[in-house]
Amino acid sequence: MTQATVTTEPAARAVGAKKYYGEGDTEVRALDDVDVEFERGKFTAIMGPSGSGKSTLMHCQAGLDTLTGGQVFIGDTDLSSLSERELTLLRRDQVGFIFQAFNLVPTLSALENITLPMDLAGVKPDQAWLDEVISTVGLGDRTDHRPNELSGGQQQRVAVSRALASRPEIIFADEPTGNLDSTTGTEILAFMRKAVDDLGQTIVMVTHDPVAAAYADRVIFLADGKIVDELLDPDAEQVIDQMKKLR
Amino acid sequence: MLRLTLRNLAANKARFLMTTFAVVLGVGFVVSSFVMSDGLRSTFGALSEDITAGTDLLVRPTSEFGEPLPLPEDLVTEILAVDGVDNAEAFMESAENELQPIKADGSTITTAGPPQLTFAWNDDTEIGAFTIVEGTAPDEPREFSMDHTAAAKHGFEIGQTYDFVTPLGVEEDFTFVATTSFGADNATVGATLMHVSLAEAQRLFGDPGTVQQIAISVDPGVDAAAVANDIAAVLGTTTAEIVDQATVTAEQKAEFTEGIDIVGNVLLGFAIVSLFVSIFIIYNTFAIVLGQRVREMGLLRAIGADAAQLRRSVVAEAVIIGVIASAIGLAAGVGIAALLTAVFEAVGAELPAYPTILSARTVVLAFVLGIGVTVASSIAPARAAAGISPIEAIRDGAAVTPENGRQRLVRGAMTLLAGVAVGSFGLFGPGLGTLALVLTLGSAAVLVFLGLTLASPAVARPLTAVLGWPVAKLMGTAGGLARGNASRNPRRTATTAAALMIGLSLVTMGYVVGESVKSSLGNLIADSVSADYVIAGMDEAALPPVFADELAASGQFEAVTGMRYDEARLGADVREVTALDMGTIDVLFDIDLEAGSIPASDATDVILLHDELAADLAADVGDTVPIEFVSGHTADLTVAGIYADATIFEDPLVPDQVFDAAGAEVADEWVAAVLPDGVSTADLAPFVAELERTYPQVSIDTASEFQQSFEDTIDSMLLVVNALLALAIVIALIGIANTLALSVHERTRELGLLRAVGMTRRQTRRMVRWEAVLVALFGAVLGVAAGSLFGWGVVSALPADTFGGSLTIPIPQIVQVVVLAAIATLVAAWLPARRAGKLDVLDAIAH
Ligand SMILES: Nc1ncnc2c1ncn2[C@@H]1O[C@H](COP(=O)(O)OP(=O)(O)OP(=O)(O)O)[C@@H](O)[C@H]1O
Ligand SMILES: [Mg+2]
Repeated sequence: MTQATVTTEPAARAVGAKKYYGEGDTEVRALDDVDVEFERGKFTAIMGPSGSGKSTLMHCQAGLDTLTGGQVFIGDTDLSSLSERELTLLRRDQVGFIFQAFNLVPTLSALENITLPMDLAGVKPDQAWLDEVISTVGLGDRTDHRPNELSGGQQQRVAVSRALASRPEIIFADEPTGNLDSTTGTEILAFMRKAVDDLGQTIVMVTHDPVAAAYADRVIFLADGKIVDELLDPDAEQVIDQMKKLR
Repeated sequence: MLRLTLRNLAANKARFLMTTFAVVLGVGFVVSSFVMSDGLRSTFGALSEDITAGTDLLVRPTSEFGEPLPLPEDLVTEILAVDGVDNAEAFMESAENELQPIKADGSTITTAGPPQLTFAWNDDTEIGAFTIVEGTAPDEPREFSMDHTAAAKHGFEIGQTYDFVTPLGVEEDFTFVATTSFGADNATVGATLMHVSLAEAQRLFGDPGTVQQIAISVDPGVDAAAVANDIAAVLGTTTAEIVDQATVTAEQKAEFTEGIDIVGNVLLGFAIVSLFVSIFIIYNTFAIVLGQRVREMGLLRAIGADAAQLRRSVVAEAVIIGVIASAIGLAAGVGIAALLTAVFEAVGAELPAYPTILSARTVVLAFVLGIGVTVASSIAPARAAAGISPIEAIRDGAAVTPENGRQRLVRGAMTLLAGVAVGSFGLFGPGLGTLALVLTLGSAAVLVFLGLTLASPAVARPLTAVLGWPVAKLMGTAGGLARGNASRNPRRTATTAAALMIGLSLVTMGYVVGESVKSSLGNLIADSVSADYVIAGMDEAALPPVFADELAASGQFEAVTGMRYDEARLGADVREVTALDMGTIDVLFDIDLEAGSIPASDATDVILLHDELAADLAADVGDTVPIEFVSGHTADLTVAGIYADATIFEDPLVPDQVFDAAGAEVADEWVAAVLPDGVSTADLAPFVAELERTYPQVSIDTASEFQQSFEDTIDSMLLVVNALLALAIVIALIGIANTLALSVHERTRELGLLRAVGMTRRQTRRMVRWEAVLVALFGAVLGVAAGSLFGWGVVSALPADTFGGSLTIPIPQIVQVVVLAAIATLVAAWLPARRAGKLDVLDAIAH
């Protein structure tokens, strides 16, 4: 297995990560001894068949779930050593999330949703950065609207802005374009790409869509809880070929 | 469809159990009310028959008006001589606490609880209803007996002598000669029942040579009705009636029933409040649970279920819940009855043993009420859910909205106005009977509450925003989110808050009326009484007739007068008349004389009239008005003056001489006295203390103590209000906790998101708790507003010249209650908050 050249300390990494569900006959190895590094300032896509452990890897790497064995790190923090509260604070301060849907708190305006992690932490957002994020993502004057007054695409842009706004160490996105039509999905992917290129953000994205994966710098392929392959600077064709092999 | 109904119930077990709590309580109170009153009625019914078993006929005095004059004692012998009469016995009964035995330790039995009553002994136990348990009959002077329960409880021993508080002062050395039993079980309900000889009874609380009633038994086999005719012949000019056993028994039962009904009605009041409040809670639960099932409903519609089927399935759920709640409520009712019986015993008013009677009427009513309330509150949500279009449900985020906001606001405002109109009619319209008034005001309150609940979603958003402002400021993001959650679903907030609104409005009304009456009375008393002392019998005890004379003779006071009341015919109508020492009026009171003058102490055949009465009688100063007393005595009284202040007197006032001449009431109801200049109540304290030792049944209050005693009376009535508050708040809090738990469940995914992006457990819990507090405060604000309105209405409807009609809103008390409710809400929100905090983030996101 080849590893990407590491120029700096990775933004996040997993070492011998194991996640088992159930016992004995019914044991499911959602993650089976996974070693992976997510390079700072890069856009990584995770692909694989349904049930291969993509979401599990992301959840464990983000501190939403705990491992059965092995270690995961954000920066140089070993997540297994953290308490529930410390994990929460870590997510708040160092991790950004974009989910497939229901990303926003309906009682808050778009802007309030964007600054939510900072508000929870009780810190003032950096106004200049905030403006830059909002303009990069192209939300413009819709920041006063409630989520139910925004289209699905606009809602996802708010979610991307929220993930970017607190300048987290790393952003995890689980099928962020899964619920969108292809045009809107393409826009969101372009924004994420831009955040990596222009703002230097690290992003890890789970996706089923080879076109989406082609926006990444690197694609990791999972099957049966193991990393089976990876592609650097992929295009959609290569990804499709690779996926076919896994089936 | 039924299978689906049952599945849904099983899935939401905990939810519906909480919903049923309020119904269980309501049904429980209804049932306990009936269980207690049915049981007690049966016990007392049997007792009434016991008491009157030996009495075939009863002769008692009558009068056209007022208290009838007693019967001449000679009548007993005359009746005994009538053919067919087996026995005739004089019946004498003291006023409550008129005679009080002094225990060995020097104290008296408290007069706050059940009364102390003394009777004339008669040896005929058939007629008397009392039998001697131990000792000999009290038929000599200075002998007495007591029922064995009271004797044992208070430590009276046969053969010992005890002193008595009597209307004539403390009398010493009465020998305790016997213990007795009232009926077979001595069912005294906590009262102390004593006997003395007839002569002693006449001396201590009657008139010499007279008896109150005559109980008669007829010879076996003789027709009582025929004997009654013969007795009527010997009555002669005595105004009296002869009644038979059935009448006496029925009257006796009715008398007992009155007390039983009071207890029953208080319980029913509690029942009505909890049932009414439960409607809102059940409605809310249904609305939320159905809201969460929108998709399922839509799917069912899509695959061919029609609206009526869906509606029926929801109503079927309600019926099942109603049946379960009613059954639990039935059992709870029996429990509540037992609990209350124990409480009564603990406060010294033990009830006689009574059978637990669950009559068919009680069971049917329990189920009708329980099911009725549940089904009634499910109808609107059921209709809304059934009205869902298949598309609506399949599209995400469809909400059940039964009608639009404006329509609802208009309907609410109209209901509210109707309530206010009905209430105003009840308060200010033509004088209604008690029942009609209670029903009118009750339905007015229901309309107002419904109207407020319908209309209040319109203000829920702005009001919770305002109330939530400090919370958002102080509690940071969690507070801000709490504020947003409290106002995101105005209708849910309004319905959840309704229960608390109802509770708090009742309490606020109680406080407003209580405090207004207190302060009005205070002002009025200060204005119209210049006496230093106001003296009255303690509790129900009578004031000894000799008391006022003794005070006057003591030389300690500048002026003293007793006030006695009796009925007399004045003009065309019978009215209560007050007799007093007219010469003292100027010194003791300020009656606000409008015309004429106040006569001197020795004036005879004069009268002072309140201005309204003077107008009624068309009498002016110098006119004469004819007066006729119960005794038949008549006089022509000259109007000496007309007065305006109705605080103390509203009656016509006459000199003592008029009552004395007419043989009217001799005992003073109360006595007022004023000290000479330069003497303070402190100076007189030793004298007063001595006086209280001689007359323990008298309470001697300074003017300020007098006012205080009024306030104490009002405060003790507010205790009932507080009990109602506790009940309403408990139910309301359960409602809030229930809704909150449902909301937390409904927002699982949102909570998961918040937790994922870094909200700590503490922040999550805080958010949920403060949402609850905001909803509670919203209800409290509406409740306080409605309650103040009710209070204002009641105070305005009270007669201005006796209660002053001035409005006092006791802000500190109200704030205290609101804060209390908010704190209680924080506690009630504990569980839902904990659940929200403990949500597993991953599960929540995947939800
Ligand atoms: N809570 C759980 N209990 C038991 N097994 C689980 C649980 N969560 C996940 N699994 C199992 O772990 C494996 C990996 O699941 P995961 O959700 O990571 O797959 P995925 O690659 O994200 O699939 P998809 O593309 O469908 O989202 C699957 O076989 C799944 O059944
Ligand atoms: Mg997945």
